[in-house]
Amino acid sequence: MILNIRPVLSAIKRNPTGALLVGLQVSITLAVLVNAAWIVHQRVVKIEQPTGINTRDTFTIAVSGSAKQFNAGAAETEDLAYLRSLPGVAAATVADGVPLTGNGGDTTVWLQPGHRGRFVPSAEISMDIEGIKTLDVPLIAGRNFRPDEIVPYVPGKIAPSASEAIVTQALAHALFPHGNALGKTIYGAVPKTIIGIARNFMGPQLGSPVYNTIIYPRLPGQGNYYMLLVRTQPGRRDAILRAAKKHIAASHRYGVIVYTQTFATANSLMDSSNRNVAILLTLVTALMLGVCCLGIFGLTTFNVGSRTRQIGTHRALGARRRDVVTHFLLENAIILAGGALLGAILALVIGEWLTTHYALPRLNLAYLLVGIVALAVVGELAAWQPARRAARIPPSVATRTV
Amino acid sequence: MTHSEAAMLRMQNISKIYRTELIETYALRELSLEVKEGEFVAVSGPSGSGKTTFLNIAGLLETFDTGTYELDGRDVSRLSDDARSRIRNEKIGFIFQSFNLIPDLDIFDNVDVPLRYRRMKAAERRKRIESSLELVGLAARMKHLPSQLSGGQQQRVAIARAIAGDPALILADEPTGNLDSLMARQIMDLLEKINGMGTTVVLVTHDAELARRAERNIHIVDGVVLDSPSQAHSPQPRAESAAD
Repeated sequence: MILNIRPVLSAIKRNPTGALLVGLQVSITLAVLVNAAWIVHQRVVKIEQPTGINTRDTFTIAVSGSAKQFNAGAAETEDLAYLRSLPGVAAATVADGVPLTGNGGDTTVWLQPGHRGRFVPSAEISMDIEGIKTLDVPLIAGRNFRPDEIVPYVPGKIAPSASEAIVTQALAHALFPHGNALGKTIYGAVPKTIIGIARNFMGPQLGSPVYNTIIYPRLPGQGNYYMLLVRTQPGRRDAILRAAKKHIAASHRYGVIVYTQTFATANSLMDSSNRNVAILLTLVTALMLGVCCLGIFGLTTFNVGSRTRQIGTHRALGARRRDVVTHFLLENAIILAGGALLGAILALVIGEWLTTHYALPRLNLAYLLVGIVALAVVGELAAWQPARRAARIPPSVATRTV
Repeated sequence: MTHSEAAMLRMQNISKIYRTELIETYALRELSLEVKEGEFVAVSGPSGSGKTTFLNIAGLLETFDTGTYELDGRDVSRLSDDARSRIRNEKIGFIFQSFNLIPDLDIFDNVDVPLRYRRMKAAERRKRIESSLELVGLAARMKHLPSQLSGGQQQRVAIARAIAGDPALILADEPTGNLDSLMARQIMDLLEKINGMGTTVVLVTHDAELARRAERNIHIVDGVVLDSPSQAHSPQPRAESAAD
């Protein structure tokens, strides 16, 4: 009611519990709101972005077998030979992951040995010489793997790391933003030379920056498990998938087909997964915002109710209705500001944690600013109705003795 | 004290009716009275006679149904809510029975409340606050909270708040109702002192002894004035009239 912040602060200081609780609620809501909005944005971007691979004509067959009796190395070689011999197959490869599915690994690519210096999170996938061709991803610089660079699978032994790698444009840029990545050495378990740069495509791990993918020349088989990726000529996918399933199922005594899936289905599942996450996060965040607004509404309503005589006295002493509204909105704004300050710090800490642990792009500060403004507007709207009710308290309340 | 012939407060045929779905209750019935500039007037009457309704209307805390009201030469019968707030702030100082100090604010800030609404500069406000607290003898207690003061001291703070804005009219609603007799006498002394400085004082009380300390007594019963110089304009009381 007084056009000055000091008396409003005095009122908050005299009854700090409610203000502290609502301020805390505001801070948590802001931290969740901002990071959830950022994640939703990433998911929506993923839905809208092209996969970069041929999803129409490509499918995968995952094969696994008994650890003791199944020779994954021999089986995958045999399956590849069969698939490549089929009329209508444009390309086939064996891989340890499948783009778009989440079935595959992620890694951290370092610019210095010994896990030092700058690093970039990335999805990774090991494939043979026809990997790039199967995904229908053109190389925009460098070359494909040579047959002698493919690290074979040796049963019972851990396959050595490859010395070469092909990276996507996005990963190349993330690693060397001011120079050409081709020919440069990058570091993981062992040093690798970038021999090719492929056009951007989505890798197997959906949590990584969407186009950061690194391809190693290596035959999988670890754990007696491998994936066959097959691209057919247009219109031949389903027939070849049926034939390949039948043949592979019959050809391995100790191996079985774990699943088959077209890339079109994988893409659709990925989109719906992203959409569901976006919807769920939006709903949860909206719910939190709603609960926060209820808290603000409740606190302001309580303050109005418990200060009826005071409000009447202020009115009697010359406060206009808008002075009363201003007082309660100012009091609420101070609580919101305190909550927003703490919430901003919390949002940045959570954002950093998500970046470190889930390879989420670093929180865009514009989201934080928009989040603060949005919460301030919604928070003030929540206090508006009780503040207006306070303004309707007549000045004659001041003379009532009961 | 001597006072001018100009009217500070002039009410003519004021009626105030409280309505519910079933009944209409006259709180004031064609009440007419006049208080001269600089007068010290006591308005008394039994409980439910309409004293507080009179005070509320005189202080622009409530509207009325019929009649006209002039305050300090200006017709204030039909004003907007904002205009009424401004006149309350500039022309009237209120002293309430329950002191009505703001518990969150210290004494200085309590006296500051009406001055801020007048948008006075900080230095001018400080000067007025210190001077009015000096007058009521509480200059040393500026940083105390109301809860740290006795009832009598709290009422003196309320008086300081009422006079800090240099109002033309002080309206005191049972100002000694919550005080013992010694404190009550001190408060009445203060009101007389303020009146002696030229401020019109209207004291609403049901205490006949206090009322006798005023220059003039106006007796309200059942919403009409019984014994005022202007009572000739008032009709006789009616049995069904009621309540404050």
